[in-house]
Amino acid sequence: MKRKPWGRRIGIIFILAWSLVPLYWALNTSLQTDAQASSKPAHYLPPTPTLHNYRTLLQGVGDIPDAMRRSTVNIFIECGAATIVTVVLSTMAAYAFARMKFRGRGILFYAVLATMAFPAYTTLIPLYKILSNFGLVNTYTGIVLVYVSGFLPLATWILHSYMSSLPLAIEEAGRVDGASRIQVLTHIVLPLAVPGIISTAIITFLFAWAQFLFPLVLSSDLSTQPLTVAIAALQGRHLVPFSLLSAAGIYAVAVPAVIVVMLNRYIVNGLLSGSVK
Amino acid sequence: MTVGAPHENAPEVGDSRGSLRAARKRRPKRVDLLPYALVSPLALFIILLALVPAGFTIVGSFYRVQALNPPNRFSGLDNFRRLWSDTAVRESIGNTAIYVVVGVGLSTLLGIAMAVTLQHRFRGRSVLIAILILPWALPGVVEGIVWSGIWDSNTGLLNSALTSLHMINHYQVFLGQHRLLTIFAIEMVQVWQITPLSALLVLAALQNIPSDLYEAGNLDGCSSWSAFRRITLPLVRPGVAIAMVQAVIATLNVFDQPYVLNGAAPTGASVTMQTYFISFQNLDFGEGYALSLLITLVTLVISFMVVKLVYRQVEF
Repeated sequence: MKRKPWGRRIGIIFILAWSLVPLYWALNTSLQTDAQASSKPAHYLPPTPTLHNYRTLLQGVGDIPDAMRRSTVNIFIECGAATIVTVVLSTMAAYAFARMKFRGRGILFYAVLATMAFPAYTTLIPLYKILSNFGLVNTYTGIVLVYVSGFLPLATWILHSYMSSLPLAIEEAGRVDGASRIQVLTHIVLPLAVPGIISTAIITFLFAWAQFLFPLVLSSDLSTQPLTVAIAALQGRHLVPFSLLSAAGIYAVAVPAVIVVMLNRYIVNGLLSGSVK
Repeated sequence: MTVGAPHENAPEVGDSRGSLRAARKRRPKRVDLLPYALVSPLALFIILLALVPAGFTIVGSFYRVQALNPPNRFSGLDNFRRLWSDTAVRESIGNTAIYVVVGVGLSTLLGIAMAVTLQHRFRGRSVLIAILILPWALPGVVEGIVWSGIWDSNTGLLNSALTSLHMINHYQVFLGQHRLLTIFAIEMVQVWQITPLSALLVLAALQNIPSDLYEAGNLDGCSSWSAFRRITLPLVRPGVAIAMVQAVIATLNVFDQPYVLNGAAPTGASVTMQTYFISFQNLDFGEGYALSLLITLVTLVISFMVVKLVYRQVEF
């Protein structure tokens, strides 16, 4: 039994290094001038920390700051809208699946779960063709519709697991006291399900934030391109110094990183209630 | 008992259970619309934007659908034949097989190791879990950029560190030259992204193991290694199975990391990248449909096999 703390200590150091070294390295590079960042051997700490790269990335006028600012607005609109629609629709459906009996419930529920098993890219080409038939390529609506259809199954599954675990007695008491079923949903179930709803919202938002291939195909210019696509385009250009690219990376990572640091408890609970049964 | 038979409406005095049952039986006659109202938006989304497109993919893979070369017509297995004779596609299938083996293997091993580290409570454990899941939450594209700072042949951390440690004399090129090395380097980035979820899934299974099993093992003079092999490993199989399935799905469909780190170069192009190039650069949608159908089928088959091989129902 003496070996154990040692094993754990090595494990802890490994987890810390594994998660943080790559991010530290990008942050370190982003705070150096391009000349410093290309020195051999590399500087393990920025010799003269500077925000120059972040200013080039975001301030003033020019191709790069325009693209970054516009795509930031886009990603917030797309992720926000997709999250709201997904959470509202999956909450409604999860409640019906968890608490009501109706014809077709089993088939529909398994159809929803089955779509989780096939990879999202199965539907990429047909979705592109369907959206282009309706003139929805390169629109917020098109992207949000696709995101919602992709995220609904997991969201419904997480919320279904969560609502099924709530005590039935409170809802029955509400019914006995004369509340309508809608009132039971809005006044009893929703407040109780808040932690599950928060988990679902955070996970959906993070998934939406990480999307790349779908918006690469579905948005053709900066009017709808999210940050991920704009940064990949930046990387594809020549003559963009690596220190600037690192700053772009840190900039795109900031929002999800803050969410994880502040709300990780909800993420862990949501992921586990959704997948382990 | 037939539903809605007229005599059932007669009051059954003294048998409240019977009348309750009759009341419950009668309810389905009036179609309850509320559940349908609640699920219909979800149903519309799933049918119109998931099931119908999936049907398009299946049907379309047997049609010639070329945007630059209309009209569309039925072509049997032609798309699949052309895929097979396309060297780039065959190479990408080989590459993807390596991505899957490396990615599933590494993420499972690392995930188990991390989960075992976190198995028992200690101070700072929840902070460590937050740090653990950080890479899971970040976009794959950005992770590609972050990791190119490590693999880079001129300014990368790895070259610099290995030189400082006198393990190499001059800077090495990790990406784009040697196929296995390139794929390994790219897949490390994806492993970085998917391992946190594997670790969490295994950890959840670990926490279901009753601690008296370890106490009993300890009394019997079990070393911690044999406790791990004989108690932990067999009992976390369900968690490991789910972790491996998520890794299989992720690695079979890898796109962001090779796209950012290696571009279209054949040394690292994955099947999903080929699907993208065929459909949206060559505008040959028929062949794209066929290739996505193949990836989907392979994903389903391998996921099913993993569940069959690894999953065991565990009773405590």
